[in-house]
Amino acid sequence: MMQFQGYKRSRGPAGVRNYVAVIPVSVATASIADTVAARSDHAVRSTPHQMGGDPPEKTREQIERTLIGVGRNPNVGASLLLSLGTETTDYNKIIDGIAAFDRPVEHISVHEAGGTAATIETAVDVAQQLVGGIAGCQREACDVSDLRFGVECGGSDATSGIAANPAVGASCDLLVEAGGTACFSETPEFIGAEHILAERCPDPAVRERLLSFVDARESAAELMGVDMRGAQPTPGNQEGGLTTIEEKSLGAIAKGGTTPVQDVVSYADELPTGAGLVIMDTPGYDVESVVGKVAGGAQVVAFTTGRGSTTGNPIVPVMKVTGNPTTARDMSSNMDVDVSDILDGESVASAGNRVYETLIRVASGQQTAAEQRRLEEFAINELMPNELAGEPA
Amino acid sequence: MSSLQEMDEQRPEDSTFEVFEPNASGVGLRRRLLVVPTVICSHIVADHIAAGVEGAVSIPHDHGCAQIGADHEQTERTLLNLSKNPNVSAVVVVGLGCEHLQSRPFAERVEAQGVPVRELSIQGVGGTDACETQGVELARSLVHHNRPEKVTGSLDDLTVGVISSDLNASTVQTGAPLVGRVVDRISASGGRVIVAGTERLVPHRSVVTDRVTDSAGEGWLLDRLDELSMYPGKSQSISTRAAGLSPDAVIGHWGSGPIQSVLEHGVPPEDPDGVHLMDSSSRFEEAATGLAAAGATVILHLTDEGITTGHPVVPVLKISASAKSLEAVGTDIDIDARKETPPGVLRRLIKIADGEPTAAETHGMTSFALSRVGPSM
Amino acid sequence: MKGRVIGGVGLLLSDGDNVMTAIAELPAGASVPADNGAIELIEPVSFGHKVALESIHRGGDIRKYGEVIAEATQDITTGEWVHTHNAESRRGRGDLSPGRDR
Repeated sequence: MMQFQGYKRSRGPAGVRNYVAVIPVSVATASIADTVAARSDHAVRSTPHQMGGDPPEKTREQIERTLIGVGRNPNVGASLLLSLGTETTDYNKIIDGIAAFDRPVEHISVHEAGGTAATIETAVDVAQQLVGGIAGCQREACDVSDLRFGVECGGSDATSGIAANPAVGASCDLLVEAGGTACFSETPEFIGAEHILAERCPDPAVRERLLSFVDARESAAELMGVDMRGAQPTPGNQEGGLTTIEEKSLGAIAKGGTTPVQDVVSYADELPTGAGLVIMDTPGYDVESVVGKVAGGAQVVAFTTGRGSTTGNPIVPVMKVTGNPTTARDMSSNMDVDVSDILDGESVASAGNRVYETLIRVASGQQTAAEQRRLEEFAINELMPNELAGEPA
Repeated sequence: MSSLQEMDEQRPEDSTFEVFEPNASGVGLRRRLLVVPTVICSHIVADHIAAGVEGAVSIPHDHGCAQIGADHEQTERTLLNLSKNPNVSAVVVVGLGCEHLQSRPFAERVEAQGVPVRELSIQGVGGTDACETQGVELARSLVHHNRPEKVTGSLDDLTVGVISSDLNASTVQTGAPLVGRVVDRISASGGRVIVAGTERLVPHRSVVTDRVTDSAGEGWLLDRLDELSMYPGKSQSISTRAAGLSPDAVIGHWGSGPIQSVLEHGVPPEDPDGVHLMDSSSRFEEAATGLAAAGATVILHLTDEGITTGHPVVPVLKISASAKSLEAVGTDIDIDARKETPPGVLRRLIKIADGEPTAAETHGMTSFALSRVGPSM
Repeated sequence: MKGRVIGGVGLLLSDGDNVMTAIAELPAGASVPADNGAIELIEPVSFGHKVALESIHRGGDIRKYGEVIAEATQDITTGEWVHTHNAESRRGRGDLSPGRDR
């Protein structure tokens, strides 16, 4: 399949959905954003988060970059930015960043609107107008090379590395072959397997960047003076048979497939289009990691899970792929693709084809299980003060 | 309320008012059934469950996994202590199943604190649809704990949290002195006060040595300040302005009395009265959440920047001295500190304790955040 | 998939691995064909968990996917369940480096 039915944009690749994003600048307007979306057309989506209004510089830059990326995501036809009005987070920079991609962006500040109740009322009206403005955009045939396919693993167990990740990896290979971009991340889950990835970086600068990112993530454990167990691997990972981060990582990297790693980018950096396999540096933490790729412009995400993660995203369809037959059966209502037949002998290539076919259908409008249930978790990775130690206080 | 109509103009703190019949945790001013997601991955299901039950609120947060060491411990401790806030009548714990902060053992710890609790996990019941249906049933089975029986209470039944989320000129000159005098009067009446906002002390270690009377707490706090001095502050304006102000100016809203004990983030004081300092950033959403975990049943929020959100667990009384913010968002502010007197603030506090909604409770928007002390893994 | 299924009950991901991954719930006594004759499980091993295919000394490497995934924290016998009770990671060990005491 070389085409999907998507929403062409005047700048950047096509989207697979057509949303109005209601974006809070800080936690102070997050519940307003949720309320506006709840009172609006289903095409209006809130991206709530818990970032403060006066963060350290590097933390603030990451927040701004992430929110710009959300507004620029090809699935977002228009944005409504909600600020309190007194944050140091630069809402003008965010507005300009989104507008530079020819997307309509409106802004309401609680202080300028005359308070919370007035903001909610005005925002609902503005959101409705924005919906009207993008309603004319219709799906048309688009080349799959427009796709930036994010892949994630969460709630992993032993089947993840044996079945689900290889199957998703095979679908990445197919997309890369067809000229698209596939992106995987979760840097702590390279620990123990980074040498394998390093060998697949044709560019030495890319290899160096990758290894230094892995080193930085591993140092986080030293920063806290503890070992990573409990967080990496989690209790669920361990119950599911994964003993160490090395074992988890060796299974995790399979989800990126087998093609060369063409580039390594930072959290929420813009992902190149038509670029082959790209790695993004993110925590292993599922929701933050998915949001990093979404802010980078991924239009669809495939999320493998052994134990049964059910999370989604407000602006990007998240396809759940499981290789665990018990999970496929017991949590079928939250799963999109069952590849547990791999354990019974189905070839990875065959399962990979099924994942790829689902990718194309989802891109063309088929709703994932998470979308049907409005499971749309969103969180921004916050650069913590002790991560930034050494910066001026 | 007839008891309120009798409020003495000059000494409103002597009034009695209506409070909820105390539960295992103490005297509450609100009754909430709390739906607690142990991890971000179950928070939307928790939201859906709470939305389906009158009197239930959820506390959506972005954490519970990918945290290690002290960071993980603080998240767990904060959620546990939030569950036993006196405003909380009962708890439904909602987990995913694979997360670091496992829901079943967590629920057992909540139960051990005397709080009625039920627990379920998405993976345990076979998916989100089943979890939402069963979660609503469990919440409905507990909602009778929200029963509205009231008894007579007074200021000494309250634990009042105090936050100032900025060090703007009008806060320092007007708002903080007003709140400080209110704190003195609450404390003199036997009410317990917890103040929060540690980073402002980094350039003012003398405050610790002069005001903290608990020597172990003093030592802990000085070590903590050493640590904080190594990093950028979570609220940049506080960190940059504190050094240029006098010690009294940065803590004017803490009142004039001694600090009886120093609390780790989200940990309740042992004493039933006095003024206590809880370690926290001055970010409103983090400090409010930490204070709620520390047992505050009402919060005074001094905000010249006009942060208008309340908190899901605790009523928040907004106080501002900024002409700009009062003009812009006056309907969301409870007290104009330029015009109000300490008895005036106390009168408003008592009415809110008695059940009158705050400005934030009227519009219903809230902020909630767990305070992180480490990076995501 | 990568590797080969052994005796219908386990998955050997790479030759040279010294553990096999159970792809069924395996009871104690279950038999697994191996190069030098059958291996008998000395205890139950759950679906997705690992069984030692040879004895491994304390401090020795545990190999899966053709790579070292852990270190044995005690002597491990052939047919024994291998997991967090007798194996640990060598990476992300902030507990072993001079961290801050907090």
